[in-house]
Amino acid sequence: MNKPSSKTELSAAKTWLKQQRHYAGQLLTLSMVCSIVAGFCLIAQAALLAHVVSQIVFADSHWQQQQTPLLALLALMLARVLLSKYTEQFAFRGASEIKLALRKELYLKLTQLGPSYVEQQHSAELSEVLHTGVEALESYYARYLPAVAFCAIMPLAILAVVLPVDWLTGLIFLVTAPLVPLFMILIGLKAEQLNQKHWQQLSRMSNHFLDILQGLAQLKLFNASRAEAAAIASIADQYRRSTMSILKVAFLSSFALEFLATMSIAMVAITVGFRLYWGELDFSVGFMLLLLAPEFYLPFRNLGQAYHAKMKGVAAAQQMLQIVQATPARRGTKKFTARADQCLNISYQQIGFAYPEQRQALQNLSLQIDSPGLYAIIGPSGAGKSTMIDTLLGFLQPSEGCITINGEDLVQLERASWQQQLAWVPQNPQLIYGSLLQNIQLADPNANIAQVKAAAKKAGVDKFISQLEHGWQQPIGERGAGISGGQRQRIAMARVFLKQAPLLILDEPSAHLDADTQRWLVDSLNDYAQQHTVIVIAHRLQSIQQAKTIFLLNQGTLSAQGSHRELLQHSRLYRELIAADEGAGNVR
Amino acid sequence: MSAKLNINHLHSESQAPPPSDRQIIFRLLSLTRPHWRWMGAGIVLALVTLLANIALLTTAGWFISAMAAAGIAGVSMNYFTPAGVIRFLAMIRTAGRYAERLVTHNATFLLLAQLRQWFYQKLEPLAPAGLQSYRSSDLLSRLQSDIEQLDNFYLSILLPSIVALIAVPILFIGLYVFYPTLALLILSALMIVGLLLPTWVVRKTATSGSVITEQRQQLTTAIIDGLQGMRELEIYGAKDAQLAQVSYYSEQLANSQLQINNINAQSQSASVLVINTSLWLSLILLGIALSNNEIPQSQFVMLLLLSLAAFEAVQPLPMAFEQLSATLSAARRLFSLADQQPVRAEPEEPASLSAQLARQPLSIEFKQFNFSYPKQSQQVLHNLSLVVNQGEKIAISGPSGSGKSTIVQLLQGFYPCPEGSVHIAGIDINHCSGEELRQQLSVVSQHSYLFAASIRDNLLLAKPSATSEQLQQACDIAAASEFIEQLPQGLDTWLGETGRGLSGGQARRIHIAQALLKNAPVLILDEPTEGLDPITEQQVMRAIWQLMQDKTVILITHNPRLLATVDRVYQLD
Repeated sequence: MNKPSSKTELSAAKTWLKQQRHYAGQLLTLSMVCSIVAGFCLIAQAALLAHVVSQIVFADSHWQQQQTPLLALLALMLARVLLSKYTEQFAFRGASEIKLALRKELYLKLTQLGPSYVEQQHSAELSEVLHTGVEALESYYARYLPAVAFCAIMPLAILAVVLPVDWLTGLIFLVTAPLVPLFMILIGLKAEQLNQKHWQQLSRMSNHFLDILQGLAQLKLFNASRAEAAAIASIADQYRRSTMSILKVAFLSSFALEFLATMSIAMVAITVGFRLYWGELDFSVGFMLLLLAPEFYLPFRNLGQAYHAKMKGVAAAQQMLQIVQATPARRGTKKFTARADQCLNISYQQIGFAYPEQRQALQNLSLQIDSPGLYAIIGPSGAGKSTMIDTLLGFLQPSEGCITINGEDLVQLERASWQQQLAWVPQNPQLIYGSLLQNIQLADPNANIAQVKAAAKKAGVDKFISQLEHGWQQPIGERGAGISGGQRQRIAMARVFLKQAPLLILDEPSAHLDADTQRWLVDSLNDYAQQHTVIVIAHRLQSIQQAKTIFLLNQGTLSAQGSHRELLQHSRLYRELIAADEGAGNVR
Repeated sequence: MSAKLNINHLHSESQAPPPSDRQIIFRLLSLTRPHWRWMGAGIVLALVTLLANIALLTTAGWFISAMAAAGIAGVSMNYFTPAGVIRFLAMIRTAGRYAERLVTHNATFLLLAQLRQWFYQKLEPLAPAGLQSYRSSDLLSRLQSDIEQLDNFYLSILLPSIVALIAVPILFIGLYVFYPTLALLILSALMIVGLLLPTWVVRKTATSGSVITEQRQQLTTAIIDGLQGMRELEIYGAKDAQLAQVSYYSEQLANSQLQINNINAQSQSASVLVINTSLWLSLILLGIALSNNEIPQSQFVMLLLLSLAAFEAVQPLPMAFEQLSATLSAARRLFSLADQQPVRAEPEEPASLSAQLARQPLSIEFKQFNFSYPKQSQQVLHNLSLVVNQGEKIAISGPSGSGKSTIVQLLQGFYPCPEGSVHIAGIDINHCSGEELRQQLSVVSQHSYLFAASIRDNLLLAKPSATSEQLQQACDIAAASEFIEQLPQGLDTWLGETGRGLSGGQARRIHIAQALLKNAPVLILDEPTEGLDPITEQQVMRAIWQLMQDKTVILITHNPRLLATVDRVYQLD
């Protein structure tokens, strides 16, 4: 994600950002209208103020004679107060709507892309995109886009007022105005590169500091922790030097803008002054020109300030676009209906699968599971075990071959109806926000309390329920704080017993468990496998020696299959795995 | 325990009443003192730029009305001087603004370096025992964002406040000289925008900072839960419930942000209101003054523009003070952490362990030793007696929570040992300096950390003077060379945060290479094969055997093959 981005990627991101505006409804447009109307009010205010002042100062009109224009002036001012409030509020409400909608859309898209995509892209990084990335869009929509609109209209409006009354001032504006964007582009291009580098460095330095804090204990062990203070200072200082040299250039673009603006304001003041002296200009016009001159350049300055918001927004959009453009697996529509005897016939037929830009994860994999019992999938890491299971769960679609369930092609089946036949227990079972009871009930929302409790009892949840302050109603908080790994596993098994799905799949169930819980788990699995199909992905091999069939995967394909005894005889790889496992296996 | 509870816990530790906002600000100021020259220069430049800009408008206003008056009256006037002044002010303003931005940014970066170094020096003696509650990376990144928040203290709060503080009296005096009534009107309006509105904003946003921080954390948790538990959530049909959860937190956060934005919008339009009303009133005041002949005709426009431009001095303040509460609470958290005492105070006159080792063999002896972690009642080690003589290899085994890893922490000098005794080469461990203790130890554990740096830098940490050959040799023995050679840049391969890019077994082998390089006499292995798959475990174990030769070894493990290699096994319960 940190590669320098190509022009096409950048423009794709910009286009996409503009398309997302529709989520804000009319709010952003309203904000822009408010700000532009406020701008018109300002022009009118300048004209009126100049008129009143000219009348009072040079036409010897008493200020009390100017009541009507004075009141009109006050009205214009109050209108601007209200408009400024609405400009701000509409812009942020609009941006907020977009953020909410996009976050939801991206999250939904990720659920469609499935767990394997999430793991490939790292869930922590994706969550950053959904959180901080989406937040970065706020300034883009609430600051940058309105600034663009304002900049497109206000200078023209001022010019339209100024040109008819004084061509010379109009000419000064006309000559300098194109120079502003020109300078901004000339210096801005260089500054953009430099600025990007600057932000990269800033985040690198920041991460360095975090890294040092996280590893402080390790630094202490090597008695290197005190020396690190100097290193921290010197890195920050290096950062300062390099950034300052960048900023010297980056600030030039705003310098050019300020220079042009200030110099033309000064020039307007001087030329107006002389023509007033020569009597060629009315004072009310001259004063109005002086008041409007800074306002002519203000939109450019605002745009310059919002530029950083734009860059951040585009960078975030590029990451989002990767998610948006990823194609999820196709979805079947056919409802799956279980056979009366609930027995499943699963058949992998010459399955091939490759993750994008990676080597083949599965190739020519064929196997059969046609009766209830305990099946194990083993193999060295990277052999394709998880990929194989993801294709069965429906999260990945094989690029070659097909999987059939009771003779029906899995790709054609509606995912939800197929998943009703499944129960799944991962290494770290997920707990949801809610009570303990709700966490188990998840598996079958129609189950009554008695059924839930029975399933929980079977899973041994009652063994620790007495330790919980609120028993069944114990609220389970963020990431299941206060619930141990063993307890999680029991909750997961309670879900399994409640759902009574014909097919149960477990991923390395005995990891992180104490010996008692491990033994209990093996017993419950064997018990469940009497009537159901149970598939276990295993790294530790002792627990699956009683399996009906062990499928040994190697480099994406089936290397051997059979019972423990058969494999011991026929498969060298299996013997090696067993030897390694017994040699290194933990006794607990 | 949730993150929030931990923070509260830290607060409750300090007995003294919590410092007031003013104390916090003064402390922040005193921290920034070393760079006051740059900061001061930035403030002066900002002030000059501001005043030049106000003067530019004012002079221009005076110029055009004087020229108009002269034109009408048909008298001649010296127009070269004011025209020159206008050009001069325009140049001062432009150049001043550029210089100001450079100088203030330089000051900010100097402060940033200063703050990080200061904070690190405060934190370093506390680690790791004093930072136990900061172990989770959530809290560490919170720390980091707190420091980043302080980075902006100078530029976004201090600078505009001081500039306003100096500029307002100058502007007041400037106006007073010409027309005292107008000066008083403008001063009160300036006070409203520069003082009243910021105070209102500070009061309104006092709690919102911490609320938003918490809501952000909840949102991230919900998103990560949803992403990591996707298989399960979908299979149990709870996908939509999780989406609802994510949307809920997302909306909560958006609501709080909108509230803050509302406050900003209100304060902004309030300042527009005050400025315009005061402009309007100035117009009338000046009209009265003119009709009473209190001011000459030529000053009317000048004073009107001056009273409008004066607000530039205070206009940034309401927005700037929106950041104040966040900055103060960030500073409060950092100071309360920095003020903690190290859990184990270093002995004032440490006994020289290295001198003792010249006379005595390095033995480690725990005698009737009890230990509980500070502020916890539960005893982790109870009546422990254990001896390791030089060159011996012992193992400690026992269920989790039986205090095995505590022993490792104690030997590294991270905690005081008040009950019973621990002697190293006959010296009470409480009399040894932590650094000297750690010099004698190498530790390889599953919690060992790899830095986001090259593999070479990580290795050099263990022995900064090591030559390339020595690094190579250590990697060979640690069975790490094979995979390092396959990496695109070999030893110079950059490791991501927490050693990302390496598998568990590879990281463990780098730690073993580190221990080989350090070559300390005592080797502590804390579950060195935990979390590895069987094949990797075998490779790692071979490396460990190499490492254990000729060392005094304390081994914490369940691994039967490793247990078989030791002289004695101590069973904890």
